[in-house]
Amino acid sequence: MGIKVVERHGNTFKEKLYLPAIFAGMKSTLKHFTKNLSDASNIPTICYPEEKPTDITPRYRGVHRLTHREEDDSIACVACFMCATACPANCIEIVATFRDDGVDEKMPAIFNIDLLECVFCGYCVEACPCDAIRMDSGIYSVIGKVREDFIYNKAKLLSIKGISKEEYSLAK
Amino acid sequence: MNTVLILLPLILTILFSLATVPILVWMERRVAALIQDRLGPNRCHINGIRLGGIIQSIADMMKLVFKEEFLPSHIKNKFYYLVAPSIAFMSAFLTFMVIPYADNITINDKTYYMQALPTDLGVLWFLAFAGLGVYGIILGGWASHNKYAILGSMRATAQVIGYEVAMGLSLVSMLITYGTISLNEMVTYQSQSFFIIPAWGIVIQPIATIIFIITAFAETNRAPFDAAEGESEIVAGYHTEYGAMKFGLYFVAEYIAMAASGALIVTIFLGGYQLPYLNTADLINNFELVLWLIIAFAVVTSLMFLKWMKSHNIYNTSGLDEKKVYATLIIGFTAFAILLMSYYALGFGHASAVGVMILQFAIFTVKLFFLHFVFIWVRWTLPRFRYDQTQKLGWNILLPLSLANIFITAIVVVGVNYGN
Ligand code: SF4
Ligand code: SF4
Repeated sequence: MGIKVVERHGNTFKEKLYLPAIFAGMKSTLKHFTKNLSDASNIPTICYPEEKPTDITPRYRGVHRLTHREEDDSIACVACFMCATACPANCIEIVATFRDDGVDEKMPAIFNIDLLECVFCGYCVEACPCDAIRMDSGIYSVIGKVREDFIYNKAKLLSIKGISKEEYSLAK
Repeated sequence: MNTVLILLPLILTILFSLATVPILVWMERRVAALIQDRLGPNRCHINGIRLGGIIQSIADMMKLVFKEEFLPSHIKNKFYYLVAPSIAFMSAFLTFMVIPYADNITINDKTYYMQALPTDLGVLWFLAFAGLGVYGIILGGWASHNKYAILGSMRATAQVIGYEVAMGLSLVSMLITYGTISLNEMVTYQSQSFFIIPAWGIVIQPIATIIFIITAFAETNRAPFDAAEGESEIVAGYHTEYGAMKFGLYFVAEYIAMAASGALIVTIFLGGYQLPYLNTADLINNFELVLWLIIAFAVVTSLMFLKWMKSHNIYNTSGLDEKKVYATLIIGFTAFAILLMSYYALGFGHASAVGVMILQFAIFTVKLFFLHFVFIWVRWTLPRFRYDQTQKLGWNILLPLSLANIFITAIVVVGVNYGN
């Protein structure tokens, strides 16, 4: 028991003739060909950029965004520099400043991400203790005419909307 | 008229071999894509005109032509290295010279041959140059001074030795059947009918047909017999060290060789330029009727094509509105052709001999492109044979089979002749 005898194929005359198998194979490829020729709509190829991908999920690692606080819509980031420290590409530039509105003690005065250097590893998101930076924007194409267009500043990052239902920072 | 008729087959040879290469490359890529549920290249365009993607292969060719001509420094025999791709290319091109594109045409008691090289030794010419094409591969592989290249060219050598024999022998059985070595007479022979089936080579000699088609695949180094460039084990085989247009020549040579083999298969086994049941004399006599049939066919196909285009050409590129351009061109061309044909069909003109010739070109082209499709279809269906399997098939199966086929053919032919 326990021994499984695998049946060997290829020894009958019909199989040794090889041609029936070839014709069967050709029949199946021809079926694909005629089907796709007469109706191309079933082909999974996306005609980008006319067609956009439809399978972008919130977990897709797109362009970063900075989240807001649920209570007063202000910036959630506390300028702790964890993301800039974790970043392997060293592309996050933060200048911290005091916060006088009593919501928190610190916030970034400048928060720049250079997307030309970013490797989209997501470490900054992992590192953030305040859920202040996220990559759930769903944006997969970043277009610019000059290099400066790819440096996203604080205002720009705050303005990007996420595609998940979690609009605000979840940190308490 | 004289010079035109003499030059015509030469021009057709150039058209069928060189000008079809971009179309073949395009066909190869799009058919492969459709077989694999993809779309294939369709974006490249000139001012919005994409021609279904043919522009892509033209662009590829341009790129190969303008690429830097790089000569690896380790190559000692520069002359052989440089001449090898040209040999492959030239011999593939010359193979085409003997194919009859239409029946011999007699105008004012003068007969013109529709072969670029009006010789009766067509089959021998084909065998000689199809065999020579492999020398380009062998020489290139050897002169490249590279292990992979040498391995590839050795595989090509062994393969061509094995398959050339079977190919020659299967042709011999066809020569016995047809009783001639002139390709044009073979086609004329195939215009007869046995009872109700047309006497095409594929019907009267199915085994020779299969052997010839298999060996033609091997001879042109097409999949499943392309072990000479087996990229999974020997990088790119014989053309590993080649770049730019030197590689381009090999690349083009493969397609021309495929076209030439296809043309010979059409000529010997698929009735050449003939339609079943209709020989040249019948066509000339019933020319008007044939024209009306063609007119009906043209109308139906262009309408069908327009409808198909409407549902398939969905996205426009920048530039001209492609769909409109095509629709205008197709409708205009069809209308023009119908006018021209009905002029003859109503009996005003007397150009039936030339008309039949053009018709036969068209039939030949259609058959040739069908065969191209088969070549491509097989390539994207079958995986590559292992090297030892190729050898086994060639020597152990095809060779004895073709020998046996010759004996049987000879016995039958002698018996039939004796009976008469
Ligand atoms: S995704 Fe990676 S590289 Fe980009 S900013 Fe975040 S940590 Fe840096
Ligand atoms: S985004 Fe997060 S990790 Fe980066 S500085 Fe702000 S709070 Fe700290």
